[in-house]
Amino acid sequence: MDSIFLHSNPDPAPAGDGPLRGLKVALQPNLAAAGWPAGAGSRALAGYLAPEDATIVRRLRQAGAMLPGYTRMSEFGWGLQGSEAGRALREHAADAELVLDLAGESRVAAARAGACGFKPSYGLVSRFGLIGLMPSLEVCGVLAGTPAKIRGILQAVAGQDEHDFSMADEPVPDFAPPKTKARRPSLGIVTEALDLMSGEQAQAFRDLQGSLARSGFIVREVSCPDFPLFALVHRIIGSVEASSSTGRYDSVRYGPRAPGARNWNEMYLQSRGAAFGPLLKRLLFQGAFFQFERYEAYENACRIRARLLAAMQRLSAQADVLALPAGDGEPGGNPATPADIWAGFSPTLFANVTGQPALILPPAPDGARPAIQLAAARLQDARLLAAGEELLDAFQGDS
Amino acid sequence: MRFSQRIFCGQLTPEDIDRPVVLAGWVDAFRDHGGLLFIHLRDRSGILQIVFNPKVVSAEVCRQAATLGAEYCIMVGGQVARRLAGTENPNLETGAIEVLVTELEVLAPAAAPPFAISEKAMVAGAPSAGAGPVDEDLRLQYRYLDLRRPAMQERLAMRHRIFQCVRQFLDSRGFLEIETPMLTASTPEGARDYLVPSRVHPGSFYALPQSPQLFKQLLMVGGLERYFQLARCFRDEDLRPNRQPEFTQLDIEASFIDEEFLYELVEELAVRMFAVGGQTLPRPFPRMTHAEAMETTGSDRPDLRFDLRFVDVTDVFPGTGYSIFRQILQRGGVIKGFNVKGQSAHLSKNVLQNEYAKEIAPSFGAKGMTWMRAENGRLESNIVQFFSPRELEELHRRFAVADGDVLVLIADPSRATVLSALGQLRLHMAARLGLIPPGRLCPVWITEFPLFEAAEEGGVTSSHHPFTAPDRTDFDPGNIEELLSLKSRAYDLVVNGEELGGGSIRINRPDVQRRIFAALGLTEKDIQERFGFFLRAFEYGAPPHGGLALGMDRTAAMILQTASIREVIAFPKNRSAACPLTGAPSTVKREQLAELGLLNLGGAETLPGVARQEDRLDRLSWVSRIGMTAEERPGLAAVLNEADQLAEQAARHAGPEDPVYSAVPVTNRTRPGTEARRSPFAESGQLLNNAPAVKGSYYKVASILE
Repeated sequence: MDSIFLHSNPDPAPAGDGPLRGLKVALQPNLAAAGWPAGAGSRALAGYLAPEDATIVRRLRQAGAMLPGYTRMSEFGWGLQGSEAGRALREHAADAELVLDLAGESRVAAARAGACGFKPSYGLVSRFGLIGLMPSLEVCGVLAGTPAKIRGILQAVAGQDEHDFSMADEPVPDFAPPKTKARRPSLGIVTEALDLMSGEQAQAFRDLQGSLARSGFIVREVSCPDFPLFALVHRIIGSVEASSSTGRYDSVRYGPRAPGARNWNEMYLQSRGAAFGPLLKRLLFQGAFFQFERYEAYENACRIRARLLAAMQRLSAQADVLALPAGDGEPGGNPATPADIWAGFSPTLFANVTGQPALILPPAPDGARPAIQLAAARLQDARLLAAGEELLDAFQGDS
Repeated sequence: MRFSQRIFCGQLTPEDIDRPVVLAGWVDAFRDHGGLLFIHLRDRSGILQIVFNPKVVSAEVCRQAATLGAEYCIMVGGQVARRLAGTENPNLETGAIEVLVTELEVLAPAAAPPFAISEKAMVAGAPSAGAGPVDEDLRLQYRYLDLRRPAMQERLAMRHRIFQCVRQFLDSRGFLEIETPMLTASTPEGARDYLVPSRVHPGSFYALPQSPQLFKQLLMVGGLERYFQLARCFRDEDLRPNRQPEFTQLDIEASFIDEEFLYELVEELAVRMFAVGGQTLPRPFPRMTHAEAMETTGSDRPDLRFDLRFVDVTDVFPGTGYSIFRQILQRGGVIKGFNVKGQSAHLSKNVLQNEYAKEIAPSFGAKGMTWMRAENGRLESNIVQFFSPRELEELHRRFAVADGDVLVLIADPSRATVLSALGQLRLHMAARLGLIPPGRLCPVWITEFPLFEAAEEGGVTSSHHPFTAPDRTDFDPGNIEELLSLKSRAYDLVVNGEELGGGSIRINRPDVQRRIFAALGLTEKDIQERFGFFLRAFEYGAPPHGGLALGMDRTAAMILQTASIREVIAFPKNRSAACPLTGAPSTVKREQLAELGLLNLGGAETLPGVARQEDRLDRLSWVSRIGMTAEERPGLAAVLNEADQLAEQAARHAGPEDPVYSAVPVTNRTRPGTEARRSPFAESGQLLNNAPAVKGSYYKVASILE
């Protein structure tokens, strides 16, 4: 079997001494760490050495975290084909992993690895030094054993970054652990999310719902009839953004150049034709189609996105946290097509479209209880993590 | 008012005062002075102020005049008057007079022009509306408005006079102006042909002429003896700033002549053409062999307005203590340099070392540059300590060094590199130091070009074209070394570093021509296919002949001192070889291609442009510059069909909401306390570390065109 790390840091000792002292945080090669081969899982960046640390990486080092290396990732982090997210955690080579969450990758990978997976609010963590693919949807997710560890990492990395001009001037949530135990949070089950599951999976979730109610959580069903549209919106916007943001891979500033081009159009065609894997290429052609042939489809998707944002805000007012199933990230077909990838993430896409935080709690090790996904309104990250801890406590009380 | 009564604005002088006149033209500028309306009326001859005075003209005409706007085409009747003292306009030739209007007819109203055309202010000392620079593509898109500007009209008028001068002069010397065809067969010039498909012969093409070369020689075979033509030529070449895909050349050919005849003829002609623009060319033009030009200026079109001639100092440094020179000399290298007289005040050590030696010289292909500054009778530089007193003394002598001089030396194992880099440095320094005297014209004939150049794939190619006569005919077509030593009877006319034209004495004997073809490695079959008709003509007693072609756009631009040749062409293409006015080149309908038999050309291969129009997969591959293999096509086509359905769904479900492009509203922000600065990675060059190809401090890319 392959080594856990695609690139092992020869000198993982931290420079700083802070709250994360001794915590081993594995990175994906789409986060720049000075001198590391940040290839982002793509041939388009083969041989690329990051010139400096991403803001997140710098803050981790300053907080005393140890950085053991880069894990293996899918091409630009989209889907989990070829990704080994969660393995370093499972094999105790790391205490936490940072995994880009474009469609739910960090959450699904966590559930598979038996860990907690957290996608922070969009705009909460700096994107400076992140090699992204879908800028308005993706955010760096955190995999760790407990919500408390996730909280610690967020405390160290979240917040304003003078290098990232896309971050809004918003207050950073206070991630300090709650001092007093508040009342048990109310849970809103998004019924339409259950409709996306198989009968068996839905039944398992219903059972979990019952046990939570018995543990003293207020559980109510909430409804978002447009929930199935998240996939449509994500597919159109995601492909357009991917097509647009991969425009930078031109074999001029970085990446391999196909030999023998007679002029620069040929250089682009050949180099870019060879740079992207078959799956990503299909995504990029879809994106190019919307960009250049059916631009109104992209605008329509953004209109629907506006409606979905408002709908999820209304749901968030009806319960402290939303509860949904987790999805398995398994592509339906082999070889996978873009549609298959999206199908595997249908319950997790919503949080990428709305930018709200989402947390997955892993299934019971014996499979008796399925994974559960919690979500809260944007910037309610601290409250969400606290709710996650309460649920885990309750589960442990059960067993 | 009748057009027959019309006279030109620019004709009127104070002698015409009180004369009734009818004028027609365009509203150049206007000024309302409390009921009194002043208009600059412009026609091709000039600009004249016309006045609508309510005391002179009816209220109805005044009302109509008030509706006039810039570039309205109008006709007026009125009377010439002297302007009031103190209101004369020195910007206008007619600034002392004006016309008091009594009649007005709007011939055609004008939409608001996209840029101001007026070049003459209505008030002394004020700037004109059209004084600011206008984007050239906008000018070209509305060229018909741009042409209304007096400066443009003046340039076209001057071009006309230059052309008239050519015709009159050559006519006086017995030359006949004869036209040759535009639709012709592809000829062996240096560039690619523009092809014209034949409908009558499907799959066959005419070529537009790159020059009338073959025809003008056939005219000589035909006994016309002296021919000229102001010929339009077409070359599908790589884009360059001052190059047009079609251009006008003065094509001259004469029989029973030698080089001296052409030198005399063309010098006299050039003197007359430049005189049209008020410029004096000194005669006779000096002559310089190609070898001398290369060795002393690094260029086959030397700019002789300034000195900076190269001196070879290779033989000064055998066994030198300076290891870089020593190694280069061990590899058979060359050391040459030039003396920048008296410029050390403007070429500091810092500029020489950090700009020239580190950046500029490497960008010209040199691996390094050695410099020395002469101060207090000594040569100073960062490496002067490595040279012996004898070497320094010899440099002093060779370059005739005086205090204040700066020596620039390039050493390289390759002579070509030394000449090329030093030649570019020569031009760079002359421009930077202002060593080029304004208004000076330095024509020169470049002679004795090599007949052949070594071809990349072995063998030789013609430096000029294969009909150029060699300096001797007793050569062995199989001996490449001998071939490369042959000189041609070709000559170029260079003025101020620009090649205005060139020509040669041609081969008139078929046996010589065949030996040249043999030297070029052409088989008998190749020769028959490509030049059969031409060679046959030479079987019938072709006279000795020769000629020359002058680029008339470039010549006119130089005579009129315009920044670009587009300024002397009525409807030029832009820098991308496109015409913003007509949109040429443009796509054509499939039916049109079908009619020309172009759809199935090249067998199963689809034509690039056509296929892209037809197949959205190819189109998307092209616009997103992502190549694809045949195996990938079905999968990619499938996702496009899927995308169609997604687009339909999105249309069905989209509501009236405004689109949201990001969960967090996107705004431009500036962080207080930060300032714009260059990335330190750019400064240190680290940014280049990941690039697949780098040259010096630049990213290296494939050329824009082949």
